[in-house]
Amino acid sequence: MNREPTLDELIGDDTTGAERQRLQRVHEQLLEAGPPPELTPKLDAGPTLAMSVGKRRRTRPRALLLLAAALAVFVVFFAGYGVGNHRGGKSATTSVMSLALKGTHFAPQAQGALQVWSSRDGSNWPMTLTVAGLSKLPPRNYYEVYLYRDGKILGSCGSFNVAGSSASDTTVTLTSPYPLQRGDAWVVTRPGPGGAEPGQTVLRPVTA
Amino acid sequence: MRKNDGDMEIALDVPQPRLRAVPTEPAPPSDSPSDAELLARVGERDREAFELLYGRYVRPVFGLALRRLGDRGHAEDAVQEAFAAIWRSASTYRPERGAAGGWLYTVARNAIVDRLRRNGPTAEAELPELASQERGPAQRAEDSDVAWRVHRALEELQPREREVVELAYWSGMSQSEVAAYLHLPLGTVKTRTRSALARLASMLEGEL
Repeated sequence: MNREPTLDELIGDDTTGAERQRLQRVHEQLLEAGPPPELTPKLDAGPTLAMSVGKRRRTRPRALLLLAAALAVFVVFFAGYGVGNHRGGKSATTSVMSLALKGTHFAPQAQGALQVWSSRDGSNWPMTLTVAGLSKLPPRNYYEVYLYRDGKILGSCGSFNVAGSSASDTTVTLTSPYPLQRGDAWVVTRPGPGGAEPGQTVLRPVTA
Repeated sequence: MRKNDGDMEIALDVPQPRLRAVPTEPAPPSDSPSDAELLARVGERDREAFELLYGRYVRPVFGLALRRLGDRGHAEDAVQEAFAAIWRSASTYRPERGAAGGWLYTVARNAIVDRLRRNGPTAEAELPELASQERGPAQRAEDSDVAWRVHRALEELQPREREVVELAYWSGMSQSEVAAYLHLPLGTVKTRTRSALARLASMLEGEL
């Protein structure tokens, strides 16, 4: 900036006395503070999942566990495809989409990460879902993963359950049998009252 | 959400990317929770409260990190670490021991100092002297404190008020040029600026 404004220029000279001194102090503080910084796109997008992965009461950071779980699943997938693919194969599995999920008011402690991998046949899209903070459901009840498109549920991509305490992480592999489209997202639900489907959404996408 | 008979639907708001406030944005509700209330909720793992707190403090924290670290990449990392620390330790905040803003400042500053130490002397060498070379550590700390409080207070202004303040102080434009730029009468710009300064004064005197 090349010029600093004067208080007179900004508000005129008709304010006097204590009020004038009060505004003068703020004026000087603004000049001293300088402009607030422009946020980076990453910071502007809001808090990340990693920020709210708590370490309390845990011997290892959950972020590392989530990362390790995702890495392990990736290795399994990669190895599996490598084995299943005969010599000269071109099917190295690559991630085509990743989605951070956060808990809704039905499961405010929950969080998750979903990775969608490239399809070998163009029909089935392998997915890796890692969740934490979901509670164990009653017998014969399951969490359901739904493809969510254009404001509504398109179809189920599978179900899973979690065992033990809600603090532990769970990683599952699923398949989306629907051709993917731009803007696709996934949600996780649990059975609603009376077993109604699709039930109550417990995990939804974080800001894209 | 669209209604379509036969489709399974759930109440889900897929969040949209955040944008910097624009002049037409409605004013924040006057009954918005205080920082202390938000911290208490974050301590109970309320992600919505965490996002609100993030929105209020991400610029001050980023500004503080930039002043200390000088590099946007390092500063971005430090902000992430600062908010992760806030998430982890929010439950330790005790309102009777001081204002929430002061507590947040301390947690953020500690995270930034940790990052500075980890980066080692190289990062120190990268530091552009944002303050005058003659200013000692105490004076620079005071500068950082002023910037923190001013930038935090700016986040509380109505977007229309914040806009005229930012243009008046940091665009290099005169009030007449600001009026022309915003297509507003000069008197309106001055009134709005004065109102914004008065509100900032109240907030800064009240130590957010």
